[in-house]
Amino acid sequence: MDYLLRLYNMAAAMLKPGGMSRLQGPSSLKRKRPEVNSPAQSLNEHERLLYDVIRSKQDIGIWTRDMKKEAKLPDNVVNKSLKALQVKKLIKEVVNIQNKGRKHFMATEFEPSKEISGGAWYLEGSLDTEFIESLKQLCKRQIERSGVATLEAVTDSINSYPAFNVDVTKQQIEEILRTLILDNVIMEVKSNGMGEFASIPFGEVCYKYVSKGGLGGEPKAGALASIPCGVCPRISQCTPDGIISPKTCVYYQKWLDF
Amino acid sequence: MVSQYGIKYAVHIITNHFGPLVAKVCDCLLKKGPLPLREIVRYTELSETLVRNCLLVLIQHNCLQPFLLEEEGGFGEVNKVSSLYMVLFDNVLHRVRFSKFMAIVSQEFDKLCVDLIETLLQHGRLSAEQIFDGFRDSTEGSSSGRVEALQENMHKLVKARYVERCPISEPFLALPSEEEAAPVRRRGAKSAKAFLELETLEQCVLVAAVPPEGMRFLFELNPEIGADRDKVENNSSSNTGDKRKLDALDSNIDGGVADKQVVLWRVNFEEFIRRLRHKICIETVRARLDDEAATVFTAMLDASRSEEKKIKTASSVPLSENSIYAEVIKSEKGRNMTLDYVISVLVGLSSSPPFVRVVDNSYIIDFKHTIEVAQTDEVESIVYKKYGKDAYRMFRLLSKAGRLLETDKISDSIFLEKKETANILSKMWQGDYLQMEKLIAGPTQFLLWKVNMMNLRERVLDDMFHAALNLSLRVAYELEQQKEILHLGVDGPMKEKYEKLKKVRFLLESSRMKLDDAIMIFHDF
Repeated sequence: MDYLLRLYNMAAAMLKPGGMSRLQGPSSLKRKRPEVNSPAQSLNEHERLLYDVIRSKQDIGIWTRDMKKEAKLPDNVVNKSLKALQVKKLIKEVVNIQNKGRKHFMATEFEPSKEISGGAWYLEGSLDTEFIESLKQLCKRQIERSGVATLEAVTDSINSYPAFNVDVTKQQIEEILRTLILDNVIMEVKSNGMGEFASIPFGEVCYKYVSKGGLGGEPKAGALASIPCGVCPRISQCTPDGIISPKTCVYYQKWLDF
Repeated sequence: MVSQYGIKYAVHIITNHFGPLVAKVCDCLLKKGPLPLREIVRYTELSETLVRNCLLVLIQHNCLQPFLLEEEGGFGEVNKVSSLYMVLFDNVLHRVRFSKFMAIVSQEFDKLCVDLIETLLQHGRLSAEQIFDGFRDSTEGSSSGRVEALQENMHKLVKARYVERCPISEPFLALPSEEEAAPVRRRGAKSAKAFLELETLEQCVLVAAVPPEGMRFLFELNPEIGADRDKVENNSSSNTGDKRKLDALDSNIDGGVADKQVVLWRVNFEEFIRRLRHKICIETVRARLDDEAATVFTAMLDASRSEEKKIKTASSVPLSENSIYAEVIKSEKGRNMTLDYVISVLVGLSSSPPFVRVVDNSYIIDFKHTIEVAQTDEVESIVYKKYGKDAYRMFRLLSKAGRLLETDKISDSIFLEKKETANILSKMWQGDYLQMEKLIAGPTQFLLWKVNMMNLRERVLDDMFHAALNLSLRVAYELEQQKEILHLGVDGPMKEKYEKLKKVRFLLESSRMKLDDAIMIFHDF
């Protein structure tokens, strides 16, 4: 329920104009205000007002609609000012992972927070699938090689991998290992200190390689999944003497055509 | 509770084996629950004689259990006793498993035993004399030695519990106490609740029908059998201890299967289903772990088998390391294992997912969990095939979590874009694979998802019955085509078509057998 409460709070904060500042993390507060440079000085009244609204949101940024409400400026003025601020490189448009369709702006001096960017797994508002996939492969290979491994061992080995020039945290690797469990490639077990677990202290959580197939390999097809009826989209309309029946079934026809 | 397609499939099996009239009676009893004769006549609109004959066929083939039920007379009148008929749904399904039962016997015993089992499966219930008569007809110049061999083999089968005495023909269910009376009064009601209660009634009837312990598997070698065909009253004395047994095939069903004094034998489906349950458990362990784990698990099953009383036993009796080891080294594969090695395998068996539990230095087979693993594998493979790899991950995430999870949380956990995640989740929800709940927080709405494994199992089982029915109907259709080709002659261009049809039938039949294994995992085990 903690998670739901957090979600609720986040939603409430997002819906309140200016409320996003409640979500600002300590990291954003640490950032110092950059030196006021010349482009900022050459702003007209409207641009200045808009710029202050945007900059006040720090690494959370602001949606154009909220911006308009807060600045109390007409649409055409806001649009014109936004363009001018972008040209002067004082603000930038960022992708808000929570709502990609909304135009979201942030002062250039800030980097989008985790809530906006999606965190380490996102690149420019999209999931960095290439990075995730390569990490999955590396983790899988590492556990496959050793049979069983702890989270620390996997993290260390990935970080010491010469071709992999990004430092990954233990938490990131844990997230990757969780997906490998869902892929049924590895399983979480507790060491019994014997046999293959000899090098791992008794009771410690570790990960064991299970799949004989490739990464995310297809699970062994069960009895129902192996026949057309098991995956038939029309099964609810299929009756012995109906229009759709086992005698007239096109999926059966295809299946039995060899 | 038998599902919609469960009933359709059972009626289809009975239609195939005994024709539409018996199937009509079976259908009526499956849909309405246990009924007296006059009610069956009323619902089926068949003549009373016809219904009686249909009931006799079902009794002969162990698909029907009559019983007497005491009911309150009401308004100070004496209690009434009604004679009711109940279809044994499980036994109807067993009819497609005969080849599996025979395969089990052929692995343990010689051909004569297999033939004896086949005879019993074919005829349902027979006296020892009737069984041996069948062999007398088929063998030239039968000698007393032959009869002796038959008796010995029959004895072996009874001892191994593959053959048992038929249940009491019409057990008497006395008026239950206040609380227990509810299902009786509501008999025939259509509500699901009443149906559930009837299942309890079914269990009561089956328990009451079991011959007394010590009698069920008592087969006395009788040298007189075969020597004199008139002396068929073997074991008649053994019936005296059970008065109810003597009411064989009650007054409603006159002239039943055989003489009241004769002990009737039938195949003990329960023992065969137990063996098949063990087999599935072993294969599940092998798939998840390895051959060595399967060998040790098999040894544990062998060591605890004699203590198993029910089919759906949740766990075995506790076994010590030494008793397991003693059993392991009996097998060829286990002979080269040391005690230390066996212990390390046992540790592996008791770690996640635990097929074996450790209690006070003893090991207990966790049947319930092992079967659940097999069920989960089956359901997950359907999800994978039907909705794809990402759906498979989401399903596993939700089924492992066992609680409601929000769309974004699911999306983050499986590294999938939120929109795509929401799409797949709602597809699975529309297909009844997931449950969904809406959480309204002010103007914002969150969607929460969950796997309800219990409901899902029932739903998957109904799909399996539907699929099994479809396979069987398609086999019949292909057979029709084959007949037509045979009629035209299988030479020339027709030969190729005929060969293809043979392959098609093989694929359909083998798929049906595999599907039946899965049905057992969800229904019988």
